[in-house]
Amino acid sequence: MSAVLSPAPPAADRAAAAGGARAVLALARFEARKLLSSAPVVLAFVVYIGWIGWRTRQSFAGYPALQDADRSTQAGPLLVGMAVLLSANLAVLRSRRHGTEDQFAVLVVPRGRRTAAHVLALLPVVLLTAGCVTGQFTWEALKPGAIGHGSPAELLAGPLTVLLFGAVGVLLARLLPVPSAAPLLSVCFLFVFVLGAFSFQGEGTRWLAPVVSEASTTPLPSDLIGRPAAWHALYLAGAALCVAFLAVLVSGARGLTVKAGVALTLALAVTGAVAQAGGDSPALTAARERATVTPEKEQTCVERAGSRYCAFPEWVPRTAQWATVVDRVRSLTGPAAHDRQLLVRQRIDARYGPAADSAIPPATRRDQVTVGTAWGGNRVPEFSTAVAAVLVAGSEAASDTMCDGRMVTVMWLSLSWQDDPVDALRRVRLDDSVSGAAIVLSPTDPLTMTEGQTDVVRRLLQRPLAGVAAKVRAHWAELTSPKVTTARVAELLGVAGPGKADSCA
Amino acid sequence: MRVTWASLLPVLRTLPWPTLTAAGGVGLLLAAVPRLADGTAAAGPALDLLRCVALTGGLGLAFLLDDPARHTTAAVPVRRLARQALRAALVAPPVALWWAAAVLLVPAEIRPPVGDVTLEAAAVGLLALAGAAAGVRLTDRPRPGPGVAAGLLAAAVLAPLLLPERWALFVPADDDRWAAAHDRWALLLAAAVAAWGLYGRERLGRRR
Repeated sequence: MSAVLSPAPPAADRAAAAGGARAVLALARFEARKLLSSAPVVLAFVVYIGWIGWRTRQSFAGYPALQDADRSTQAGPLLVGMAVLLSANLAVLRSRRHGTEDQFAVLVVPRGRRTAAHVLALLPVVLLTAGCVTGQFTWEALKPGAIGHGSPAELLAGPLTVLLFGAVGVLLARLLPVPSAAPLLSVCFLFVFVLGAFSFQGEGTRWLAPVVSEASTTPLPSDLIGRPAAWHALYLAGAALCVAFLAVLVSGARGLTVKAGVALTLALAVTGAVAQAGGDSPALTAARERATVTPEKEQTCVERAGSRYCAFPEWVPRTAQWATVVDRVRSLTGPAAHDRQLLVRQRIDARYGPAADSAIPPATRRDQVTVGTAWGGNRVPEFSTAVAAVLVAGSEAASDTMCDGRMVTVMWLSLSWQDDPVDALRRVRLDDSVSGAAIVLSPTDPLTMTEGQTDVVRRLLQRPLAGVAAKVRAHWAELTSPKVTTARVAELLGVAGPGKADSCA
Repeated sequence: MRVTWASLLPVLRTLPWPTLTAAGGVGLLLAAVPRLADGTAAAGPALDLLRCVALTGGLGLAFLLDDPARHTTAAVPVRRLARQALRAALVAPPVALWWAAAVLLVPAEIRPPVGDVTLEAAAVGLLALAGAAAGVRLTDRPRPGPGVAAGLLAAAVLAPLLLPERWALFVPADDDRWAAAHDRWALLLAAAVAAWGLYGRERLGRRR
């Protein structure tokens, strides 16, 4: 309370240089410990690690495409970054808050070096974040259903964001040494980067944000994603280091190293910012077009139990899961369909890259089934429905306009073999209902079920599988003829018929 | 009462005006974003925007009870709660004006229901004040503001992430839960007022 305020004594430059580095390291160690144990950072890490555990257990329905899983590690570190910004800022302002700024001036470590120590103290938090990111990604990669390749540059974005936010906190404390500045800046960051409202519309400016998310939820082959992840990592690293050097510079360390550091890192950041704004290259656009229009030229085909499965190279391991579904559905069909050779082809619409999802038109070729790039969860009954529809109607295009008793056969084939058929029925319908008319999802165009068909299917699914299966085999020809009505199908399969006649409005 | 009036001017002088102005300025700047970003505005972001503006206001108010002369003024005959209420009363008119300006800055066609959003803002502001009062009562520090602001910010970031569905506060305007959520906001407001009343009293007896 009674500290004498006097002009700071001249720092002993030569002596400081010798012992300086050691002192900076010692101070950095102390500040790193303080930072790691500060309340906001501890809270943020608890929530972050909890979020990783909670989310990764069920993410991607257990079948992650690693080129998407790497991106999904970027959101969590924003929270940590915000906490580090706040805590680093408060740590730099601590000496002001406690009125010890003038006492520090007589010590061997001048202000610029103390700032450097604060910046170095960010490293353990950044490394801890990197550890969490690695853990989250490794978890995804170790899931038995994982396919594809992750990108190290995408994984770097999270830890670099934390470094950038921390450095901004330190710089802010030196530029504007008031305690309210960091919370207010955090709100702006929250608004711009997390809520993402009103911001960054253009392709170039969009990438100036530390974390850039994509609208599409459909995985693409990794060479078609076309995100400038490496340039973005360079931009983030350059920006973070530039802010850090600037913080040291404005604290009074005007040495050549610091100035060169600012210039060099600024150049790195600008290089990254310019390079990442380049947009899609013509080669990438052509490759996306090729994969969309003529996927057969890019795909690898494998033969499994009499059917052919063509997938983009990264998805070849997943053909086993597709084959299981195809075999289960086919085993329930009549003898005529038993030996049909299906071609299961993976199709995507990659023309818009990861920016937008678009519907895939049904295949017109006979016995060809379309499968998407996502798997697990609702994708399984959807694919199963497409397989059943092709086995019954002949092709995807023909099944599209189906509005007769065959729909009952299709849905029973698709769902009856699954663990909980009625629940699968609910999941495969757009409105999650098990009664009334509804849209049924499939990898391509959706199908429609009338109210009567829904009732008959539900009754069938509640019957024992073996009994219905025997009747389906016996009456296969009539069940799959285009003229059959829902009432006739119900009669053939031995359940109560629909209340009303079919009409697909 | 006379003493309260007498302390009007000194209190007015010791209010953290720079912090309040900075918070207000940042808030208005945020509120002006839809007008600056031409034509891309939508109703959902406008609600998020006003919530962020309310949060800046709350962060400013978190510093309202910071009083470097705290240990000196503890001896004046006016009760602490009255002194704190006086501070709040002094900033209430400018804060109300500021909020009105922020709401008006959001274009009318995308503006969320004003009454309900004002309720949210009031709850945030009073939570900040209750937090500041708790900071004053539970610590000896003359300036508990930074900690309170950090706590408020943490609550604002974590509440939308962690609150279970039944207690959802941050619901979109066209949601069925909007009315129920605002009942909860009103409850929160009442709780904040009660907490302020509780923590605003001077601690009797010696600590430790």
